[in-house]
Amino acid sequence: MSSSTNNTPVPSTSSKKSLKVFSDDIWKNKTAKINAELFTLTYGSIVSQLCTDYERDFAKVNNQLYSMGYNIGVRLIEDFLARTALPRCDSLARTSEVITICAFKVFLNVTPQVGNWSSNKDSFSLFLEENPLSEFVELPMDAAKELWYSNILCGVLKGALEMVQMDCDVWFVNDVLKGDQTTELRIKLNRVLKDEIPAGED
Amino acid sequence: MAIYSFWVFDRHCNCIFDREWTLKSNQSSGTTNSKLNEDTAKLLYGMVYSLRSISQKLAGNEAHNEIRTIATGKYRAHILCTASGLWFILLSDLKQEDLSHVLRYLYGEIYVKTVAHNWLSPIDFAESEAEKRGQGFRKIRNRNFLLRVEQFLGPMVN
Repeated sequence: MSSSTNNTPVPSTSSKKSLKVFSDDIWKNKTAKINAELFTLTYGSIVSQLCTDYERDFAKVNNQLYSMGYNIGVRLIEDFLARTALPRCDSLARTSEVITICAFKVFLNVTPQVGNWSSNKDSFSLFLEENPLSEFVELPMDAAKELWYSNILCGVLKGALEMVQMDCDVWFVNDVLKGDQTTELRIKLNRVLKDEIPAGED
Repeated sequence: MAIYSFWVFDRHCNCIFDREWTLKSNQSSGTTNSKLNEDTAKLLYGMVYSLRSISQKLAGNEAHNEIRTIATGKYRAHILCTASGLWFILLSDLKQEDLSHVLRYLYGEIYVKTVAHNWLSPIDFAESEAEKRGQGFRKIRNRNFLLRVEQFLGPMVN
């Protein structure tokens, strides 16, 4: 049996530190590593192919990246939950910690910063200081206006959160590729979906 | 060690996989994804569902309290509920006190690798609204999934 079947102690307290130790352990010991440049270049070729296919209609490219991401997210969440055995989050603050400290760490080995909480605590921003997707990228003039190069991330987050019953909107606010100071991704919780119950039981 | 059956339910309350062994002496005996097990699946779902809500109510404000096993006079049910709403259930004899590592393996190494990572397999087994809320009939039929479940659980049957 492989190592991932061992009963890893799930961090029970909501403290950030134990989640970080827990995530570092998964990243170090239970995750197969691949060359980051290979990943970056693969993503680059997907985006460039989409730009060609849609004849540089970047709104369509954004949508396509988003829906590709969504389809990845609904599957990736199972992988994530199998690796970490985390339960559902009891607050959006906890969700933001799990996404940044755990999920981004395990899948991309980066830890975005959380910030810009809305006053009613239903939305927050992720600041990506490093973005492995756009490592070597410079947008051409026509793309810089409309293309959200890493839009696949929004789709992944949307799909994955939906599978744990959180209906969210996810979108990019800023991107350093477009000349902004930061790369900022916004997540807004619309509502927590209800678990289904069998017909006739309500 | 003796296990009697293995069940998977999805977040639409549908049974998407069932495997029941009937003869201890024969690992390949019994049924897979059988129509005859439909009612048993519903009863099993109902039992886990009710006890799960009770355990969550009794946890009070400490939100997280998933049910792990249910023992009756004749058998023990081992349960793994994931945050994404999948339930993995194994029925065994009373000697098996904790099969959670077996359930984790079935989820992480078998389900994830042969269903979730298999893009030609559906990830959602309800194709329309009418198949949600326990009304569905679709099952996991991936050959690799079936094979690996058989290889992994077969030796534990007797």
